[in-house]
Amino acid sequence: MIGAALLEIKGLTISFGGLVAVDGLDLAVGTGEIVGLIGPNGAGKTTVFNCVSRFYEPDRGTIRFKDRDITGARSHEIIRFGIARTFQNVELCRSMTTLENLLLGQHVVMRGGVIRDGLRLRGAGADEARATTRADEMIELLGLTDHRDRVVSVLPFRLQKLVELGRALVSKPALLLLDEPTAGADHRESQALADLIRRMRDRFDLSVLVVEHDMSFVMGLCDRLYVLNFGRRIAAGTPAQVRSDPVVIQAYLGEPEREVVDA
Amino acid sequence: MRWLRTRRRVLAPYVLGAAVLLLIPPLLGGIPGVAPGYVLYLVSLALIYAIVAIGLGILIGHTGQISLGHAGFFAIGAYTSALLTLRLGLPFVLALVVAASLSAAIGFLLGLPALRLSGPYLAVATLGFGLAIPQLVVWQGSWTGGSSGLHGLPPASLPLGALTIVFRTDQDYYYLAAAVLILLTIFARNVVTSHTGRAFIAIRDSETAARAMGVDLVRYKTTAFALSALYAGIAGGLYAHVLHGISPEDFTVLLSVDFLTMIVLGGLGSVGGALSGALLLTFLQNALTRLPVVHDFKNLYIVVLGAILILTIAFLPRGLAGVARSVRLRWAARPRDGASRVDQIVELGEGSGV
Amino acid sequence: MLSVTPDVLIDLPWGQLLVNGLALGSLYALTAFGIVLIYKTTQVITFAQGETAMFSTFVAFTLLTAFQLPFAVAFALTLLFAGLFGALIERVVLRRISTTTVLNPVIVTVGLSLILLGGAGWIWGYEIRTFPDPVVGPPFRFGTIVLSQLNALIFVVTLVLMTILFAFFRFSPTGIAMRAVAENRMAAQLMGISIGRMNALGWGMGTAMGAVTGMLIAPINYLDPSMMGDVALKAFAAAVVGGLTSLPGAVVGGLLLGIVDSVAGFEAPELRNSIAFALIVIVLVVRPAGLLGRRETKKV
Repeated sequence: MIGAALLEIKGLTISFGGLVAVDGLDLAVGTGEIVGLIGPNGAGKTTVFNCVSRFYEPDRGTIRFKDRDITGARSHEIIRFGIARTFQNVELCRSMTTLENLLLGQHVVMRGGVIRDGLRLRGAGADEARATTRADEMIELLGLTDHRDRVVSVLPFRLQKLVELGRALVSKPALLLLDEPTAGADHRESQALADLIRRMRDRFDLSVLVVEHDMSFVMGLCDRLYVLNFGRRIAAGTPAQVRSDPVVIQAYLGEPEREVVDA
Repeated sequence: MRWLRTRRRVLAPYVLGAAVLLLIPPLLGGIPGVAPGYVLYLVSLALIYAIVAIGLGILIGHTGQISLGHAGFFAIGAYTSALLTLRLGLPFVLALVVAASLSAAIGFLLGLPALRLSGPYLAVATLGFGLAIPQLVVWQGSWTGGSSGLHGLPPASLPLGALTIVFRTDQDYYYLAAAVLILLTIFARNVVTSHTGRAFIAIRDSETAARAMGVDLVRYKTTAFALSALYAGIAGGLYAHVLHGISPEDFTVLLSVDFLTMIVLGGLGSVGGALSGALLLTFLQNALTRLPVVHDFKNLYIVVLGAILILTIAFLPRGLAGVARSVRLRWAARPRDGASRVDQIVELGEGSGV
Repeated sequence: MLSVTPDVLIDLPWGQLLVNGLALGSLYALTAFGIVLIYKTTQVITFAQGETAMFSTFVAFTLLTAFQLPFAVAFALTLLFAGLFGALIERVVLRRISTTTVLNPVIVTVGLSLILLGGAGWIWGYEIRTFPDPVVGPPFRFGTIVLSQLNALIFVVTLVLMTILFAFFRFSPTGIAMRAVAENRMAAQLMGISIGRMNALGWGMGTAMGAVTGMLIAPINYLDPSMMGDVALKAFAAAVVGGLTSLPGAVVGGLLLGIVDSVAGFEAPELRNSIAFALIVIVLVVRPAGLLGRRETKKV
């Protein structure tokens, strides 16, 4: 682990209607680390994300971020603490343009208020201009310049994923949660994405927790991996360690067809 | 005024709109056989309804929260302003401020259960609210005037330094309504194109995305409710004074449905749409009463209203504003340097309507 | 306006208020059944239920008076009409609208209710008519409590219909298919169930239910285009309080509202709707999915 733990999950347990989705999970992400969370479909990976971003209420366990207990926080506060996320199936504001989505990403770093906005008081315009500049920088960085003023619902899925990544990044997070970033991308695009994520980490001092199906992507990108199966952590370590772990091979890597079916 | 300072292109429609509103009275005077006072009175009503529609548009069109009870807020504004001026002798402006604030406060409170209710449930709850308000007015008949209403309101007045403007004629009230409408239109437009408006639209598009981006649903949904109730409250206060009197029958569920129809027809998610929908529907209503062949006006109007709702949703989901927008885009893309630009525009899709 | 204030209510014993409330509540529950049925199959909460019921009742009235048909025949023909009418509404109107936003079905069914309201006013006018009683005879008496034959019939119909519908959804292949469509469109489609047909069936059945309700309410309430206005609001409240997908929930909600209404109607007649509204809001705030409904969690 590089540096002190930024995110620390202890004993996370959540069940839905008697089915235990995540069972006593311990997980930590250090500052500057890129950590992968892998496992077969239904292993509970996205559920972990939903607990961290407070969409789900865990039954037991604690989630600490920057030495602060966020287990009881509300979902909209999470991004303010410095955790931004993307979604498996993309949750963009479909009627907004790329630019508008990236402005929304800066919601918590902008000041607002209905009266201030309605009367255009005290630098509301300047705030907006600053946010637009930052959004434009990100758009350029992600190569989305041609799509800046397009409504995102007309963009192909792969680009929507990219817009979502940009929207998470403009909030200046310390920790980025990426849910299947390679969905919709081919092998070469996946490699480019891995490069991009590494560059973003270095440029913005990020830590990254990534859920992914694409094994070569994860193995190449991550410093450390956690493997989940049926909600339980069955292995953890560097990609090399995980790759040679017999339990993992049996549960996951041993069924290559399954990966194809799931993806 | 600093808050009027927006981009020139954006300002142009307001200047045009204000000029038209200013010119209507003298032009009407020039048409023989027309009673300008009565026409102006009707136009004033249309402008007042437009104020409600703009507020309701922010709630339904931008934030995606339905209300079938906005006649309730309209009634709260009207009754508060009427009671304060009539019974307590408060000046008109002060009464209007109190009316608007009370309506907004109640809107805020109604927004609280709305946090937990989605579409149809919210529609039922707001429908109930709209039904309950006139009933409460009748119930508290001893001071609200009951079912016979309140009449003989003092004329509205506006203190401007040493000078006090007193509104007496239909034309005076017309200018009052027009001025308030213009200011509230600019305010609404500023809100929906800003930080706050983006949060509203985010809630409409995806509550999940909104929450993940840090939008506090409690704060923004209640704000949208309070804001739309504020608009309805101000409009109600004006309404009471333009008519010089009100009764519970002015605030039926049908009026709430009128408001809904205005914004659906004009185009959900567009301030200009709400405005044009309100004007159009009010004129349509008046035109229908004037058809010489129709005796049964009320039924005809109800059927027309229902048909507008269904046909607009089925064939023009973005209403008149959507039509105007695609005409504009097509015009911009007219073949000058090749025919391919139409496809390009089609591909660009339609904007968020802000 | 629905007013079950029989002439026997002189001393207004609580028992009598309760019985009146239950009778009234059964009507709310019956009307709510149609709303629940349509919601259960099509995920659309209809705001036109009261008006389709009213319209069907006028059709029954025309069959009874202009054509002088016997009650049973008129009743059967009206059910047939209502069933087809409901299916037609689904085919012609609801199938055409985009359901990407929950606002659209609300707006469209509100529009539908307006057209039916205005249309009925146009065709039949606003004069108040008396709808023939389906049952005649002396009321039942239990001590001081009086139960009219019509109210007794309403109880029976409510119970029978609830049982039939319950069994239909639980045991019949069609009923199970309709539930499947409501719960998971994609899976139902993969299993070869025609969603369009199930939606049309849901609307047809729901509208026919409304016709039954209308024909039971009209004798109490007179017949006019606005006869269902109040009842429909209470039925909504009943359906929502009960949880929108639950038939027993609609009965519980309906009876509860009926009793509240009967007592409130006695104590503060002007506030009956306001109290119903307050009840909806309280229930929804405490239990957003109603008393017997299931909470749907959105997957992200």
